[in-house]
Amino acid sequence: MSSTSTGSLPPGAGGGGGGIGGSGVGGVGVRGWLSATSVSSSGKRIKKEMLELNADPPPDCSAGPKGDNLYHWVSTIIGPQGTPYEDGIFFLDIVFPCDYPFKPPKVTFKTRIYHCNVDSAGNLNLDILKDGWSPAMTISKVLLAIRSIITNPDPYNPESSSITQLYLTDRAKHDEIAAEWTRRFAR
Amino acid sequence: MFRSTNVAARVFERQILTPRPGATINLVRHFYENLVPSCTICDIDCPDHSFRKITDDGRYLVSFSRNLQDIIVYRPTWLSFSFKGGNFDYQSLTQKAKKFDSFFTQLYSVSLGSSSEFICKDFFLYLEDHQFGLFATSTAQSHEVPAIEGAIHGVPSIEKITFHLVRLKDGVVMDEKSFCNDFVNLAHSMGVFLYEDLLCIMSLRYQTIHILQVRDSGNLVDVRNIGSFCLEDDELFLNSHAQCMTVLNKSKPVGNVHESANGIHHQQVAQASAFLTGIKQRLLSFIFRKAWSEEADPILRVQHLKKKFYFHFQDYVDLIMWKAQFLDRHHLLIKFGSVDGGVSRSTDQHPAFFAVYNMETTEIIAFYQNSSEELYSLFEQFYDHFHANSRESVHANFISSHSNNIHALEQLWSMKNKQSSFSQFVKKMMTSVPYTCQSQSPSPYFDVSLFRYDEKLISSTDRHRHSTDHPIKFISRRQPNVLKFKIKPGLETSGAEARTKKICSFLFHPHLPMALSIQQTYMQPTVVNLHLRIWMELEVVVIPVRMFWIEGLALRG
Repeated sequence: MSSTSTGSLPPGAGGGGGGIGGSGVGGVGVRGWLSATSVSSSGKRIKKEMLELNADPPPDCSAGPKGDNLYHWVSTIIGPQGTPYEDGIFFLDIVFPCDYPFKPPKVTFKTRIYHCNVDSAGNLNLDILKDGWSPAMTISKVLLAIRSIITNPDPYNPESSSITQLYLTDRAKHDEIAAEWTRRFAR
Repeated sequence: MFRSTNVAARVFERQILTPRPGATINLVRHFYENLVPSCTICDIDCPDHSFRKITDDGRYLVSFSRNLQDIIVYRPTWLSFSFKGGNFDYQSLTQKAKKFDSFFTQLYSVSLGSSSEFICKDFFLYLEDHQFGLFATSTAQSHEVPAIEGAIHGVPSIEKITFHLVRLKDGVVMDEKSFCNDFVNLAHSMGVFLYEDLLCIMSLRYQTIHILQVRDSGNLVDVRNIGSFCLEDDELFLNSHAQCMTVLNKSKPVGNVHESANGIHHQQVAQASAFLTGIKQRLLSFIFRKAWSEEADPILRVQHLKKKFYFHFQDYVDLIMWKAQFLDRHHLLIKFGSVDGGVSRSTDQHPAFFAVYNMETTEIIAFYQNSSEELYSLFEQFYDHFHANSRESVHANFISSHSNNIHALEQLWSMKNKQSSFSQFVKKMMTSVPYTCQSQSPSPYFDVSLFRYDEKLISSTDRHRHSTDHPIKFISRRQPNVLKFKIKPGLETSGAEARTKKICSFLFHPHLPMALSIQQTYMQPTVVNLHLRIWMELEVVVIPVRMFWIEGLALRG
């Protein structure tokens, strides 16, 4: 369980570290070789998902690797029509762990959003990105799930209680504030 | 069209001919071909100041004391000399003409500096109505840059920069505005732009454009800051909602007030690093929308976005704002580039981008790379729109540029044709954008439809130049072989130290045939020459003086 703590870092960040269990030079080498295979298998998987995303892009969504780092993506979600987020352009940071797809990618908002499932630092509280993660999920499905939670916030699984409270008690006011946030911070 | 260049013939012609509508000033300016600052008074006996500028109404000569503590402002006047009967004393006239005081009257001297703060001698801007001038003082640039939250790395820091708003009439300091541990590029006023009463100060270190307004009362009023946020009340809006969140949170458990107050603070610090800044969000969403709309087919679009947008995403995020100018009261032209290029000199080597930003609607209107041909064609055809300063000033409208002057345009075209690589040429031309505020002299002697001169040695742009021992020739544009006058900076006899490097700057009066050339040589005293028109014959004096009077009316009217 705890052995994944170093493995979950992206390959660029985890360089050189990893001699925890190894004794001497050989141990480090073996561990490095092991993680290299896992990187390439996760890399293959990410490439495959990229092709899949390119072939059938979800509506209002797009994503792609940042520069030449396959494990660090940026995604853009256009605020869905008919929601207070309409006309907003929301940028999201997606970091794939080394042991992807066994661990979920980490998704954070780079654009401010007034939403009960997003905390004040941009962290997204989405079940499928936490305990509900399954290796059968793909990035296309994740993007679709994020888009759907933007359209229909989930007040029973909140990240920000005050927004949830407002969402449940005064929906009109909530939508008004969310639209104002979109106008100010997401255009 | 053939016209006599004789001054008397021109005066008579002016009496009987009506110029074409709207061309009165153009015609009047032809007289400058006859009235040239051809006489040089070498090494004029003048105070040891660093001379900065003559304002474009010709009423103030601004200079700084050598210790960079005081500003000294002079009123340019014309030499007056009187004598009685036939006792014309040539000697005393020459003596008088050698004196700086005969041409400039000191209005006041005001101390702005202190023991640690010095006046930036490269910085001076004035308002269009010449009511106020803006000066800057700063402490020394520190190389050990303290890491401060929100500041970017790789940009130097100055402990304190203060802008002083001074009433030009009497030197009263009306208002001040300070920036601490910040960096504003004050060299040639590059980091500051003044448009009508709006002032734009580019804080490089905090990546914020400060928009201020100069009130008639002499106050500097903050209008808005563009950077982390776009609208003036964005931060307030965000904080008020953050406040309301915690108030709601607090209403349930009765916790420690201090703790929650700290909580808010930490949240905000985290936010600052996590989210894109206001201006970056606008920029990225503009680039994204553009790339999105370029391709209609959804499958091709994803590919297109991947290559054009996501691949470069981090590069766009890492861009910093370098320089900004007003295009009008609502639009800013902002130059973006990498951190390395922000303070270095050879900026054409670094990729740079230009964005037109509407600060009222907080929208990016256009975005170009510095090699963009589209931007170049705008630059070539509509250059006058790029320097929006002093639209009201009659003199400034006559500053030659390739979009108002055929000769300047021909020169640009010939440069363009000579260039081997067009994109390199475009990049080189784009280094002059955004325009540096009030950087050009409106003197008619720089009007390229009247005179030809070597732009390497002298031009309307206010810069220090390498000085040669040869005088700078001003040749008539109409009569290509006629040398109209020469400007010779430095001492008359300078054969001995011909090898030493000399730096020269020029201050031309905006409408009188008068100029100062200031030559600086390493480890030697500064040599100031006065170039002016002198009439030795009495009867000649009367005519031109009257002519200037008429001309002054024409230029003002």
